[in-house]
Amino acid sequence: MIMEKIAELFIILILVSVVLNVSSPFIKFAIKLYSFQSLMLAFYILMGAVHFNSINLYGSFVITVIFKVILIPYFLFKTLKKVKIDKEIDMYIGIPEAVVFAGSLTLLSNLIAQKIVTVGITFGAFVFTISLATFLIGAMLMITRKTLFSQIIGFLTIDNAIFLAANSITHGMPLLVELGVLFDLFVSILILSILILNLRRNAAA
Amino acid sequence: MYELVLILPAAALIFSIFIDVLWMSYVQLIISTLVFLTVAAISLFFHSITVFFGGLFFVDYINLVILITVSVLELFVAFYSFGYVRTEIKHGLSKRKFKFYYFWKNLFIFSMMVSIMSNNLGIYWTGLEATTLATALLVSFNRTKESFEATWRYVIMCSAGIAIGLFAIVILYFTTSQVYGESLKSLSFINIMRAGSELDKNFLMLAFILALVGFGTKVGFAPMHNWLPDAHSQAPSPVSALLSGVLLNTALLGILRFYQINVSAGIYYPRYFLIGFGFFTILVSAFSIIKQTDYKRLFAFSSMENMGLIALGFGIGGIAVIGSLFQILFHALNKGALFLSSGNVLAVTHERKIEKIRNLSKNFPITGLMLLFGVMGISGMPPFAMFLGEIYIMFGVFKTNIWFGFLVFLLLIFIFAGLFSKILKMYIGVKDDENGRQNENRANSGTDKDNQDRGEIGVHPFMLYAPLILLLISSILLFYIPSPFLHIVKSASAEFGGKIIF
Repeated sequence: MIMEKIAELFIILILVSVVLNVSSPFIKFAIKLYSFQSLMLAFYILMGAVHFNSINLYGSFVITVIFKVILIPYFLFKTLKKVKIDKEIDMYIGIPEAVVFAGSLTLLSNLIAQKIVTVGITFGAFVFTISLATFLIGAMLMITRKTLFSQIIGFLTIDNAIFLAANSITHGMPLLVELGVLFDLFVSILILSILILNLRRNAAA
Repeated sequence: MYELVLILPAAALIFSIFIDVLWMSYVQLIISTLVFLTVAAISLFFHSITVFFGGLFFVDYINLVILITVSVLELFVAFYSFGYVRTEIKHGLSKRKFKFYYFWKNLFIFSMMVSIMSNNLGIYWTGLEATTLATALLVSFNRTKESFEATWRYVIMCSAGIAIGLFAIVILYFTTSQVYGESLKSLSFINIMRAGSELDKNFLMLAFILALVGFGTKVGFAPMHNWLPDAHSQAPSPVSALLSGVLLNTALLGILRFYQINVSAGIYYPRYFLIGFGFFTILVSAFSIIKQTDYKRLFAFSSMENMGLIALGFGIGGIAVIGSLFQILFHALNKGALFLSSGNVLAVTHERKIEKIRNLSKNFPITGLMLLFGVMGISGMPPFAMFLGEIYIMFGVFKTNIWFGFLVFLLLIFIFAGLFSKILKMYIGVKDDENGRQNENRANSGTDKDNQDRGEIGVHPFMLYAPLILLLISSILLFYIPSPFLHIVKSASAEFGGKIIF
């Protein structure tokens, strides 16, 4: 029982960090939030691992921490230092509207999840709701913000949402697949960083 | 024997790191030929589903069609690259850059082979995302502002799209894990097909829609197609040929797998989604082709149209499925010929705009003719094999609903007219006076005119004859289809429930 409550706390913190991300224009803060959000996801996976005593989930915890909490934010910070942007200026809709929009997306995903989820699921329909909301808000971030960094953050948020869904409706994907997915994600972040640097150089020249 | 199809590209990948570029082009020729021979041997002796590498990979009739397509087109691209590398190095590009070219190209081929033959949907996903990453730096090969922007759009859109595809796989995994428990087994395609009717229908439907939108981004279905024309036109021409000819089909394979699973579970209405997306893609590309000003973008839109047609055929079912399976191979051959021969024009003139290229019949006798015939083939005119695929698909469409058939037919005529008006101008059009005078002035000082006039002479013979032979094969295939391939296509269409009447 107490396990479930702690797990729910971690999940709520994921949603909170996403909404905070919507409400702040600062990119450095957004990367920190992403790292925090991944850490909460990792802790959630750890709770599952302790609860079901599954080696698969322990492995999933370790690779999530390595890739999502440490490596990806590290490279993003490194790129950010070279590019020297600190604030998102170009947005299609302003911050207050975006926050209201994020709230309504959360409500919407609650409705959808209650429609879909009828079968018994690891920690209930609650996790699925949050992962759906995170998914939609991440997509919104990608659409409404123009700066390249914000698009990366939105993409990473979507990815976290899918991981959360994978760990909520099942006990995580098989470790081999999860490793492949995380490695691909990591390489795509590296390539996107290279592209950002090159695009900046081209814009300056 | 089956393992060789994965091992050989991996070997080429390792060679490309250590060997000098000019030697590497020879190694690439040998390895691509070996891959082709292996696939040919597999398809000659193929009789039932074969699993290898501990059940992680398999070959069945459907992915064998795509495997044949990849190996044939890769062979010609290897020959073309042989000439391309030499020509570009002679024009002053550094050898180091082409070392990267071979490295990324082989990584691309390898990951494509992995995802085509994977039995496990998770590994399919990993391979598909790896193809995006491997081709990313190939699309930005020219290092111009446009190419970097195209790459950015390509990587961010395809990664996000494929992430949605991952969501589909997660939901499918949840559904199947209720039958098989949570292990690699419940992602294995063969096992899922066997479980078919026991699976939860609502979740399967949801998974199909997510997969259609997610992988559909990479196929280039209409509302998600923004990245496609830019990425395909900015890549070096041999890579464009591979991107258009086979990578789109690899992504389509994922959708087809989900479709098969749905059909085996007794859900038939996903086919309407395939029809809808296919038709909308043809519609959008038909109207985009008319206003294109860049010839490589023109061909990119044409591959979008063909993917729409293929999806439409799979959705219609019956005889149209046979047409779609033919179309997968024939489109790759024809589009390969087009992109490779347009690469010759680009390599000499360094000009992408249609209006700047005139009078190809004089400066580029062979290449110009290839472009003209290639466009004839791609729009489905008789001496080329795509006629056969298109006639089967249109036959199926007309049989389903005659008015819908007319509508699709009208769009195909639109596309035909759009392609021909552009290419004919490039082939026999003469520059208007003002432009001509400007060029004469520039000829005295600059080298632009020189390049244009030199025409085909500086081009390596492999670059001239690779597209020519591709078109010849395409033309022969209309009159004679080898019986093993016919057998494979028939059996593959039987898996979609296609009727086999010949």
